[in-house]
Amino acid sequence: MRVQLPGGTLRTVEAEVMPVEELLALLGVNPVEVIVTRNGMLVPEDATAGGDDEIRLVRISHGG
Amino acid sequence: MPVPARDRATCSRCRKAAVYLQRATGRHLCAGHLGEEVEARVRNTLADDGISLAGSRVAVALSGGKDSTVLLSLLHGIARETRDLDLVAVTVDEGISGYREETLRAAAAVTARFRIPHRTASFAELFGESLDRRVEGQESRACSLCGILRRKALAVLAREEGADRIATGHNLDDEAQSVLMNWLRGDRDRILRDPRHHDGGEFMGRCKPLRRIPEKEVALYGMIRGLFSPMPECPYRQTALRGEARAMLNAVEQRYPGTLERVVEGQCRLARMAAGRILSPPGRCERCGDPASGRICQACRVLEGELFRTARRP
Repeated sequence: MRVQLPGGTLRTVEAEVMPVEELLALLGVNPVEVIVTRNGMLVPEDATAGGDDEIRLVRISHGG
Repeated sequence: MPVPARDRATCSRCRKAAVYLQRATGRHLCAGHLGEEVEARVRNTLADDGISLAGSRVAVALSGGKDSTVLLSLLHGIARETRDLDLVAVTVDEGISGYREETLRAAAAVTARFRIPHRTASFAELFGESLDRRVEGQESRACSLCGILRRKALAVLAREEGADRIATGHNLDDEAQSVLMNWLRGDRDRILRDPRHHDGGEFMGRCKPLRRIPEKEVALYGMIRGLFSPMPECPYRQTALRGEARAMLNAVEQRYPGTLERVVEGQCRLARMAAGRILSPPGRCERCGDPASGRICQACRVLEGELFRTARRP
């Protein structure tokens, strides 16, 4: 699957199916700090992702 | 290969696809029910804090970021069903290059969308120089200095706009971070101060309608309502103690969901115990007349070079 990290960097992660939370742990991202979309749809972190999915992580905190 | 539909979690209140796992309760929520719950919690927070907005003019502190934009939208909804509630949006342009331009445009767009009067003023206009210029050589203190002057600027604008209360977009995460930062700094007065709001008697009232809403729910609400698009990060963000407090608390929140809420509620209980016994209510700054815990308020001390004195500038 293709993962767009906060900031726009793209990563490819090879996995059949895995929980989004596990994917975030693999990428070193705390689920409390991001919103996740899967193929353009908002999903909770206990949803799964894999195969050809397009995952986008949006960081929620921008202030000082 | 797309992921099978069996992996879709459904809302705990209906059968629609969930967009959010509320970790503290273990519930899943769809977009509609998340929106409803955020709106209800904001109304309940105002009621629990004893704040009636009927018959008042509220200055909404609008940075153009997600929290204040969501706040403006929620108060706009409340204003439509509240007798004689007037809103005015006030925006402070601190003068942070590469960051502020986009959020200022967003603030102008959202006030136009809701047809809410909008007033903007810059640090340069109000205090003689931008934040960028003022913090040259002491960037690590930018957030503290910015916070003091922004608070002052909002009070000035709100007063000039005839408001009787300022509403700010502090969310649950902000509030928990402030509690931890106060302890890390050993700041007794702030540790004991009631973080919910203050009516201050003779001073302008303040309220924080989002103070019980986790930042993630604010951001999701903004996305669901078409209010939130990713904004640039403040360049001073990583230099602040707040950034470290945020990382610490988020790590604990992930492992022990509900931590942020417990931290803030504990602080409120402590403040209630201390009220009138240990802490005196704020006095009036001898120079500007605004609230001050000592003789001179922090903003006056900054502006007169007594705090954050700079080593730069020929």
